[in-house]
Amino acid sequence: MGEILKKYKWMGPIIDAMDRDVKRLFMKNFRMRDKNFFPEGEYKADIKNLVNCMLCPNMCRFDCGTLQAEQKETMSPAYKARIGYYLTIGKIDPSKEENKAFIDLMYKCSNEESCKIWCPFEFSVVSLLETVRDDLNDKGLMPDYCKEQIDKLKKTNTIEDHNIYETYKEKGIENIETDGNDEVYYYIGCESMKFPEVVKANIELLKKAGVRFSTNLETKVCCGGPAFNIRDLETAKDFANRNKDLIEKTGANVVVSDCPGCVVTLTSRYQKAGIEIGTKVIHIVEYIKQLIDEGKLKFEKNVSDEFSKITIHDPCLIARNLNDTTSIRAILNKIPGLEISEPMYNKDSVHCCGWSGTAHWADRSLAIKEAKNRVNELKETGSNVFLSACPLCELGLAYGLSEGDKENIKIIDIAELLIKAL
Amino acid sequence: MNIENFELIYKDNRVIIENKPKIKEKLSKIVGNANVSDNEIDIMAYNKDTTLLAFNWTLEGKLTALPDFIVWPETPEQISSILKLANEEGIPVIPFSEGSGAVGGAIAIYGGIILDMKKFNKILEINDKDLTVTVEAGTNGMNLERYLNAKGYTGGHIPQSLYTSSVGGWIAHRAAGQFSSKYGKIEDIVMGMELVLPQGDIIKFKTIARASTGPQLDKLFIGNEGTLGIVTKATLKIWPFPEKRALISYAFTTFEDSLEATRQILRQQIYPAVIRIYDADETYRHFGHIENAKNKVMVVFVCEGVKKLVDLEAIITRETCEKNNGIDCGEEPVNHWFETRFRVTETSFAPTLKMVADTIEIGFLWDNAANMYHSVLETTKKVKGVIMMTAHISHFYPNGIGFYFTFAGIPPEEKTDLEFYQEVWNTVVKVVEDAGGSFSHHHGVGITRSHWMPVEWGKAFETLKSIKKLLDPNNILNPGKIYESPWDEGMES
Amino acid sequence: MNIENFELIYKDSRVIIKDKPKIKLRLGEIVGNENVSDNEIDILAYNKDTTLITLNWTLEGKIAALPDFIVWPETPEQISSILKLANEEKIPVIPFSEGSGVVGGAIPIYGGIILDMKKFNKILEINDKDLTVTVEAGTNGMNLERYLNAKGYTGGHIPQSLYTSSVGGWIAHRAAGQFSSKYGKTEDMVMGMELVLPKGDVIKFKTIARASTGPQLDKLFIGNEGTLGIVTKATLKIWPYPEKRAFISYAFPTFEDSLEATRQILRQQIYPAVIRIYDADETYRHFGHIEKAKDSVMVVFVCEGIERLVDLEATITRETCEKNNGIECGEEPVEHWFETRFRVTETSSTPTFKMVADTIEIGFLWDKAAEMYHSVVEAAKNVKGVIMITAHVSHFYPNGVGFYFTFAGIPPQEKSDFQFYQEVWNTIVKAVEDAGGSFGHHHGVGINRSKWMPVEWGKAFDTLKAIKNLLDPNNILNPGKIYESPWEKGGEN
Repeated sequence: MGEILKKYKWMGPIIDAMDRDVKRLFMKNFRMRDKNFFPEGEYKADIKNLVNCMLCPNMCRFDCGTLQAEQKETMSPAYKARIGYYLTIGKIDPSKEENKAFIDLMYKCSNEESCKIWCPFEFSVVSLLETVRDDLNDKGLMPDYCKEQIDKLKKTNTIEDHNIYETYKEKGIENIETDGNDEVYYYIGCESMKFPEVVKANIELLKKAGVRFSTNLETKVCCGGPAFNIRDLETAKDFANRNKDLIEKTGANVVVSDCPGCVVTLTSRYQKAGIEIGTKVIHIVEYIKQLIDEGKLKFEKNVSDEFSKITIHDPCLIARNLNDTTSIRAILNKIPGLEISEPMYNKDSVHCCGWSGTAHWADRSLAIKEAKNRVNELKETGSNVFLSACPLCELGLAYGLSEGDKENIKIIDIAELLIKAL
Repeated sequence: MNIENFELIYKDNRVIIENKPKIKEKLSKIVGNANVSDNEIDIMAYNKDTTLLAFNWTLEGKLTALPDFIVWPETPEQISSILKLANEEGIPVIPFSEGSGAVGGAIAIYGGIILDMKKFNKILEINDKDLTVTVEAGTNGMNLERYLNAKGYTGGHIPQSLYTSSVGGWIAHRAAGQFSSKYGKIEDIVMGMELVLPQGDIIKFKTIARASTGPQLDKLFIGNEGTLGIVTKATLKIWPFPEKRALISYAFTTFEDSLEATRQILRQQIYPAVIRIYDADETYRHFGHIENAKNKVMVVFVCEGVKKLVDLEAIITRETCEKNNGIDCGEEPVNHWFETRFRVTETSFAPTLKMVADTIEIGFLWDNAANMYHSVLETTKKVKGVIMMTAHISHFYPNGIGFYFTFAGIPPEEKTDLEFYQEVWNTVVKVVEDAGGSFSHHHGVGITRSHWMPVEWGKAFETLKSIKKLLDPNNILNPGKIYESPWDEGMES
Repeated sequence: MNIENFELIYKDSRVIIKDKPKIKLRLGEIVGNENVSDNEIDILAYNKDTTLITLNWTLEGKIAALPDFIVWPETPEQISSILKLANEEKIPVIPFSEGSGVVGGAIPIYGGIILDMKKFNKILEINDKDLTVTVEAGTNGMNLERYLNAKGYTGGHIPQSLYTSSVGGWIAHRAAGQFSSKYGKTEDMVMGMELVLPKGDVIKFKTIARASTGPQLDKLFIGNEGTLGIVTKATLKIWPYPEKRAFISYAFPTFEDSLEATRQILRQQIYPAVIRIYDADETYRHFGHIEKAKDSVMVVFVCEGIERLVDLEATITRETCEKNNGIECGEEPVEHWFETRFRVTETSSTPTFKMVADTIEIGFLWDKAAEMYHSVVEAAKNVKGVIMITAHVSHFYPNGVGFYFTFAGIPPQEKSDFQFYQEVWNTIVKAVEDAGGSFGHHHGVGINRSKWMPVEWGKAFDTLKAIKNLLDPNNILNPGKIYESPWEKGGEN
């Protein structure tokens, strides 16, 4: 209320000038504001901002990845908020089987948070949807595709139906167990395990720089990111605590992850859940940049022609969430003869690969459309090598390639390029 | 069905579609299954546009109107087939793209098919020499403008709805942007168009700078609000991105002084891209923090273009303001305007206080403009329940201006929100029309102002109606707008 | 009857008026006996407009066409009654005022009633604040302009035909003046109109600076060439008379350089009022006495307006010319142009040599303009009998230009003058249309170019024809123009 009074100070003279009966009505409306529109009872939904969002002319719609992918009003941010509000107040009953589509809409977001840049209220839509998910979960209405993810986490400790870290041997990834006295804990994301060449490249880079590090694949578990997205906070916290133990056991000064999702989870999401990891957690591009600055890594070789012209796809989590758009470019600028092109939407205005958030579970074809949009933007640069620094991006972009693209276009992680220049 | 939980505002005269599955099947054959829907979740998403009163309804759990189908065509040929089907079956078709209209133009008041243009979103070509961009009509304004910016251009069309409006919507409603004093309105910007007529013919208007090739048929379709055709593609003017911007602001003792100063600037063929006069109340609201503007009328200017021209425009703007008792307020107010110009939060706020608010923009010539302004304020304040009535002037031409009135009120207990809303609208528009002005400057007619068409156009309205009937004999394309006046027929009242 | 001594060119499909005395009587009842005539001396005076080939015919003692009656109405109501009578009796009505059209628009090819607007010649009101003049449509251009000048204004519309054309004619044909690069064409200047529709309804389009009040029906009538209605009154933009003029001229080594320089000027939002590029042949013809212009392409500029803006425009114009290899030629060429711009003597001399000549103005976008120019010249030169084809570019916009081709020839013996004339016209227009241009920039369609309407407008031409049929179901208003192509039906051939 105080905030509103300050913002609407200019209304003072207007209120003073009102006729008595109008003023009486106005004051009544003012007093009853919350009662009228905010439901009573127990709920976690951020009603205030859901209302703000649903009554906004949709000022972020042009940059909403899912809306731009689907091109249907149904996917528009304000409509998602509106449905969130109606689900919360029961105008649309979430417990009815026929209303599944409305619940699903609460999950059709790729968490890229570009909406936040344009939002007059300075929130992101996903931050509102998450509060609606909280209520749905409390009512036992978590969608099956989310339950499936939680089940996998609980069963395998990773995002797959098997423990993906156990595959390290068959993939030829070297495991380095901690001696409790590491300089660095190289924290490999579950998604990264799908790209063994990237993991191997990172290991090679760390070794080349003479870093003392561990990978701890025998005990490694998921960071819990998916549980945070789904808002199963109990499961999420369980993973947070396990990770906290694992990290502390390594004695590392710094945790370096190849997955920006892990970094965000280990830091801000854990914090919000009340779990503080004492160790600094950063993405590996930030760390590699440090190594270069300290003279521990040098790139002297030209990369082969095949990879000499790349275009950068900034992972949205690095660019917008970790606010780092410089490390990738600083590193690439050290590679001799490399031609770097930038897509029109880059750095903190990057468009999502489609594979972040919950959208790809709730509606795979939607996520693929989003990926296709991004692939088309990247193709406009004329470069055939898409470079990123996030396993989700590399996964998502691959879904966006047409059959023809697959023959011409390579999607690589920055580490894969770097080892070619060592 | 959830829809039964929602009160429907526009519920009379709805089209009755006897065999919905058959229509759905036929639509699917045209656009593919994925591009047609009658699911609740979709039709609810298309129940309204951005008419402000619809926000109150949304908050109260009411639906403005309910379409029967949504279709998302991808080619002009598909649109043509949809329109042919609609003619055969007598089903209304309502073009839609970003839904940012403020006069009800995209509301499916009789139900029918919402034809969403969102998939027409490709920017096809920039021609640097011709200074043109060819773009599909569903393209979002900001996605076009930032594309142009990235390539070194501006479209010069920057409405407050930039983020949330489309090229087709601009053309449909004769839109104007904040930079219109230099770049003109959309009718000055469109050079060529492709469109589908109500009976399904696809026509193309050649891209021209100027020509003399008979009656300007193309211009007839600019402002048609989706009643005479659906624009699918347009070629628009673009400009090199400005080398320089000058930010200028002056505070004036009276509204009259501010009008005089700005009129004199334009008269010298000096065109600041942005000129905005805020009356004393709006100055207090937006520039309360500017000491020099206390109890005054604030005017902000942005000059942009090549450096030398901007410098000259700035000098003449300053001189003319000072000659008319303006007090220099520096760049800060303009920076403030720049920062806040897209920060719309009031639409979210007013309904929660059960306030009914809206903006009404109108066109007027210079002479008599101040008198008209005063009499609009005076008359509107007399409407029971109105608590606020203010204005700024946002569009300037050598011959006239565009006013932007903002009202807010608490409907008295004996009236519904809609009744109160209609009363204020009609009061404001009547004063404007009586004073010789035009009932709209850049939002269009829609439902909200169709009542005033005969007043504005006189006998020529009959001609317009006959052309509508000629092109759309079954009245399937966006019925209930422009030519008909649903507000007169009752609804809630 | 003297008329039998004159060969009639347009003699086919003439309307047959059975009871001429009755019609005359009824016309007399409407406008008064003194305002209707079927005397030979009068109908001979209205046999043609200023289409150049008619001057050859005149010298040869031929008459282009023959009206049955001339009427000189004085009020819109009289016009309305005349049109109602014409509808009843199915008699063509051809609006006429100064007869300066060059595409046959005012030629009564099927006979009928010439409706002369000359008595609509009052200048009704200047509004200094709105910068408007309201004027009756028959008012002569020079009489309007010098009236405005005397009051301290300019209309900014200065066609070569200024002395011999009317406001109504400008609007009918989408005219452009020499100063159009600053002030625009007629369609940019008309703010309001009164007109009489073919069936006699009098409609008024409100005077607006800008508005958003539905489809731009008013714009449809600009360029209608007296086929959809007769404009009786118009409100036009005016400007304070310029404080200063700057005369600038540059000679360029190539046509392409001159186009590049002028394009770059406009792109900077710098608008010299006059810009004229003369190709090498025309430079030699008009500026043969300018040493520096030898074998070059001359460009003349006039900047006008307030002093400082003119100075800036001059500076940027000079800089941009110099950057594009222009050689300064001083004020003299511009003074020469100024002095000679209304000195038309060729029309009087060419027919005496049995030469057939004409000018053809066309609209084009910047990109590919030079290629189009070269291909037109080449194509026209290939027509047997053509001895000269040259061009200047006389109208400039940020997005395109207006070309003005001049041809002259001696018809080969196997061809009539008219056949030759048509062949050259069609050759040039075809080259323009093939290159993507518009067949007319400011003279209109008339008879000479109606054949090209379907090419220019595509399927939209059907829509235009449907609107013509809607408004004028008996096709009484100026038949044989725009929608029909009498050239294809014969004429002389």
